[in-house]
Amino acid sequence: MEDFMNETIDTTQLPKFEDVVFSILHPNYWKVTLISLAVFFLVLAIGVGLVFYFNEDLYPFIYQLSIVFAVLLLLVFYFSWISFKKKGFAFRTHDVLFRHGIIATNTLVIPYNRVQHVALHEGFVSRFFGLAKIQIFTAGGNSSDIEIPGIAKEEAENIKQLLMGKIQKQL
Amino acid sequence: MGSDFNQPQRQSIVGILVMFVYSLQGYAKALWPILVIWIFKFDQINKFYLLIGIIVVFTIVGIVSYLRYLNFTFYIDHKNGEFIITEGIFNKTKTTIQLYKIQQVNINQSLIQRLVGVYELAVDTAGSNKKEGDIRAISHELALDLKVRLLENENKKNVNNDDSISTSDEISIEKTIDSEAPFIKISFLSLLKIGITSNYVKSFFVLLAFFITLFDHIKQITGRDILHDENIEDYVDKSQIATTFLMLFVIFFLAVIIINLVKTIFTYFDYKIARQKGSLLLSYGLLNAKSTIIKPEKVQITSITQNYFQKKMNVLHLKIKQATGGEKEDHKLAIEIPGCDKLEKDSILKLLFQKIPEKGVMLKPNFRKLGFSVFLTIGLPLLGFYFVRDLIIEELPTIDYFVLLFVLFIGIIQFFAFKNTRLYINDDFLILQSGAWDVTNKIILPSKIQAITTSQLFWHKNINIGSLTLHTAGGNISFQLGNFTAIKQYVNLWLYEMETSDSNWM
Repeated sequence: MEDFMNETIDTTQLPKFEDVVFSILHPNYWKVTLISLAVFFLVLAIGVGLVFYFNEDLYPFIYQLSIVFAVLLLLVFYFSWISFKKKGFAFRTHDVLFRHGIIATNTLVIPYNRVQHVALHEGFVSRFFGLAKIQIFTAGGNSSDIEIPGIAKEEAENIKQLLMGKIQKQL
Repeated sequence: MGSDFNQPQRQSIVGILVMFVYSLQGYAKALWPILVIWIFKFDQINKFYLLIGIIVVFTIVGIVSYLRYLNFTFYIDHKNGEFIITEGIFNKTKTTIQLYKIQQVNINQSLIQRLVGVYELAVDTAGSNKKEGDIRAISHELALDLKVRLLENENKKNVNNDDSISTSDEISIEKTIDSEAPFIKISFLSLLKIGITSNYVKSFFVLLAFFITLFDHIKQITGRDILHDENIEDYVDKSQIATTFLMLFVIFFLAVIIINLVKTIFTYFDYKIARQKGSLLLSYGLLNAKSTIIKPEKVQITSITQNYFQKKMNVLHLKIKQATGGEKEDHKLAIEIPGCDKLEKDSILKLLFQKIPEKGVMLKPNFRKLGFSVFLTIGLPLLGFYFVRDLIIEELPTIDYFVLLFVLFIGIIQFFAFKNTRLYINDDFLILQSGAWDVTNKIILPSKIQAITTSQLFWHKNINIGSLTLHTAGGNISFQLGNFTAIKQYVNLWLYEMETSDSNWM
């Protein structure tokens, strides 16, 4: 137990992951999200519209359904906005942090010496805004991988180089 | 003994037969609907054509099997430290496995393989979820020899440069295999104990489903509903109904126990654990003999499960998870050791961890955790019941009592689950205790952690509670709604430990 008392003193002096200042995503990423959502809801609306067009029995329900549709649309946009606002990332000397979540605040920390590989992904819409997504994989399965979207392309390249350098150094 | 794996070599010659049967099985599986139709129309088919057809199919499969046998070779490339398997008739496949990446080498024997007296050797690595190298027919001595070679190679790189020393070393290894007496043998009695005390819930539901379908079939065939037949109440008067139900319950329970018992004994009969150069060598099975190696450094999560009865009888269930690719199949890679007693458990843990894990500082979940699980498992179902009650009550007037029983039962389970949920932390070990009836202790080393997630709901900020998930290569460990300040402090400590040392996590 004496050993343990030592450790508790140490822990208070350790760098605190909870005090890290997170960088937020590029503002353009919100536009990307908006466009993807708009496309999704457009396709959905067209689908529902077609069902109505060929099914005359459903005409009386058109009013209720449009309300449901509008509420759903607003909710999804609202939650996407919160999710966008919440997302943040930070690179420390020895690890990478990613914060995300809507009602919960999740903070995922991966030390560089546990990173398996790093990938850069450019979505179709993101490319128009010059944004890219960084994917960081570990051996801990899907739940412990980090995907940081909405980073400017050059910055993402730099981050990838930085991470690769860190991983190489570990090996 | 052809124990020189430097040159490409083929499988046992009887391997042709094994491949033949496997190919036939494969085709039969793919074409079974057609086969079923043929069987039903057996009388209408021209027997002559059928015979010719069967002969043709058998010949083709035979030739294919022979060619596959010819083209299947394996060898160890000592220079590059690789195990190489080439296979395929037209599409050649060359599988190269780095020796240091090999997680496990399993030697199994299916029924066909047992009949012709060969074994299957499967090589597992962490990289992907499926078996990479699979040698279907190999003699037992050769399999053991190859296994030793595959697993020990990384430690003997220097020795292998000198051939004479290498061979003498091989012989000594062989001798150690033969002479290595298993240091733990799970006795038949322990298996009996484990068999009658575990998996109640799982077997109960399997059996329940079985009986319900059975009643359903009887109802369809005879047109009578056994469960609601008034005649039954005519046969037995009211006082006897209770005893009948009790009898049925006891019979049901006995059936569950017997099924468990038979299953446990068939799977784990003659369980032996031997030590081999710091690794654990396990072998078990009544019909399908299996053997596995556990390398202590590749172990990620060790679970020890014990319930009240098992505690009284001094048996417990060990489960060891090694590194996986993180795919869904990871539960298949868990190695189970049923029915060891306390001493045996301690010696296994000592081999895995060099010392017996001790429980350190205890973290308890907040009472809200209990509230939330009660809400999920009792509140929501009750809400659902509230809406459908009027419909059911006509059919089954006693439904309210059943619901009351359900609430009591789940309530007790949730209470004990909450009471048993604890996270113990000390310098070397993290132990998560959980479970209501079967209490499981999951042991991980802080150095095996891959990533850490902390999570907090916004309305929990003021009362300072939150959750922690530790990701390892063998699965995740979660502890919910504990003191968030303490959790954050430990996360910082673990991160510090992980980042300052270059520990080998697999």
